[in-house]
Amino acid sequence: MTSSFVPGVELDHASRWYGNVVAVNDISFALGPGVTGLLGPNGAGKTTILHMAAGLLAPSSGTVKVGGAPAWRNPAIYRRLGLVPEREAVPAPLTGRQYIEFNARLHRLPDPRAAAVRALAMVDLAGAADRAIGTYSKGMQQRVKIAGALVHDPPILLLDEPFNGMDPRQRLHMIDLLRSMAAEGRVILFSSHILEEVERLADSILVIFAGRLAASGDFREIRRLMIDRPRTVSIRSADDRKLASALLPDPSVSGVDLQPSGLIVRISDGDRFARLLPGAARAAGVSLHEVLPTDDSLERVFAYLVSR
Amino acid sequence: MNAVSIFGAIAGTTFRALLGRRRTLLMGILALIPVLIAILYRLAGEGMVDDRVILDLLIVRTVLPLTALVFGTTALGAELDDGTGVALLTKPIPRWQIILAKIAVAGTVSALFAAASTIVTELVLGAADPAGTAAAYTLGVLVGAFAYATGFVALSVVTSRALIAGLAYTLLWEGWLAGILPGTRILSLREATLGIIDAVSPRVFERDGLDFTGSIVLVGIVLIGGFLIATSRLARYQVRGGD
Repeated sequence: MTSSFVPGVELDHASRWYGNVVAVNDISFALGPGVTGLLGPNGAGKTTILHMAAGLLAPSSGTVKVGGAPAWRNPAIYRRLGLVPEREAVPAPLTGRQYIEFNARLHRLPDPRAAAVRALAMVDLAGAADRAIGTYSKGMQQRVKIAGALVHDPPILLLDEPFNGMDPRQRLHMIDLLRSMAAEGRVILFSSHILEEVERLADSILVIFAGRLAASGDFREIRRLMIDRPRTVSIRSADDRKLASALLPDPSVSGVDLQPSGLIVRISDGDRFARLLPGAARAAGVSLHEVLPTDDSLERVFAYLVSR
Repeated sequence: MNAVSIFGAIAGTTFRALLGRRRTLLMGILALIPVLIAILYRLAGEGMVDDRVILDLLIVRTVLPLTALVFGTTALGAELDDGTGVALLTKPIPRWQIILAKIAVAGTVSALFAAASTIVTELVLGAADPAGTAAAYTLGVLVGAFAYATGFVALSVVTSRALIAGLAYTLLWEGWLAGILPGTRILSLREATLGIIDAVSPRVFERDGLDFTGSIVLVGIVLIGGFLIATSRLARYQVRGGD
């Protein structure tokens, strides 16, 4: 038997560079129905990936397909694709309704007015539909962009940092909306640099760091990798040498460095070390002055995933 | 829905965007300058005026290229610059339809301002044959407006500095270089506009520049070439990189 699965979005060894700068480096993935989070710090290459998937940027090498068709120079893909760019401005003089109807007409929808009403209701903007977009808050402008991307009911949706500017209630509404759309079989890819957003919405994630795909797959599995990664802790105490001797025998500690500024402890099991440290210090008679994790930033987490 | 309604949707929003309050006011003031100068000329009572000198200088050399420059580079270029154009680019529309609508609107708006300025200025001047001269200049600036607008729309897809490039073409190429190197006039839309005007209403003293045939050929090349270049470049248009 042959498989008839056609990925909604597919990158095959896709790279993109600007002169000598590599923005995206040899990335491959294929997405089916469901919500996929594109997670990475600012500057990682998330927007470049979404722009390539949306046919707005040509890959420098490799291929990018949407619904089995090449994304670049192929306006026909937009019948099946909706894009919410991060930086797209919306025309301030138009009302929300006029803007969405304009989008509906460009999609040649049979009843642009009804499609606009439906899309505006989906993003909870029906009440502000007849106000000029220039008077909207940032969150409302973000939602009107999402309505514009949804107006033709696309089976594939790409969203670049879609929750920017939204208040917590709007975020929850949007998460529910995207989840229900995914449950209907749509392919949804959204980017974010905020782990919690991805955790709440995505079924699977792609972790991007420095233009490379650092990890991909089930969210829980990658979360476990992030939590279990080796870390370092900086400690200042009354007697760093004595404390190092007390900590070293424990299996949660993989090494220590005695430095003039204090003790750097490399740990392999964060939970166990957190339970160990107070007791070990007390037993050794050493007062703790300061305990600081040195590498808990998201960038460090991503760097670790890339290096694995 | 067919191509006509797509054209209507793009043209409608482009008209609205181009005729914003501030831009309309500025272009209106520009179009009024020849009229005001004509009024001052009449009030000074300096006798019979050679209306063509004033129309050449103020309309063909100034109002026409500047209005077309502003409207031509803004019609699509502003959307590509500020990001609103992504809404247009992510639609299943052949790119030639987008370009056609943008050129049509930019050309029409430029033609309206330049033609209105021409007619009123000529009437105020009250020269020997106001109807004949006004008709010739109006026809000339109508054709010129669409040629200039096509060139400037194409320029706005090619470069994000279309306004500067267009200004350089108008001031340096057409204004300065054509004066010292007559050969460059064969690539001057100003000369083509004057060539059409002179064919409809011949001058007493022959002008040294493009004749009617040369003018029509140049206008044709700019209209067709500009349309094709703009369409091709828009089909390969890449948004500026994010992260």
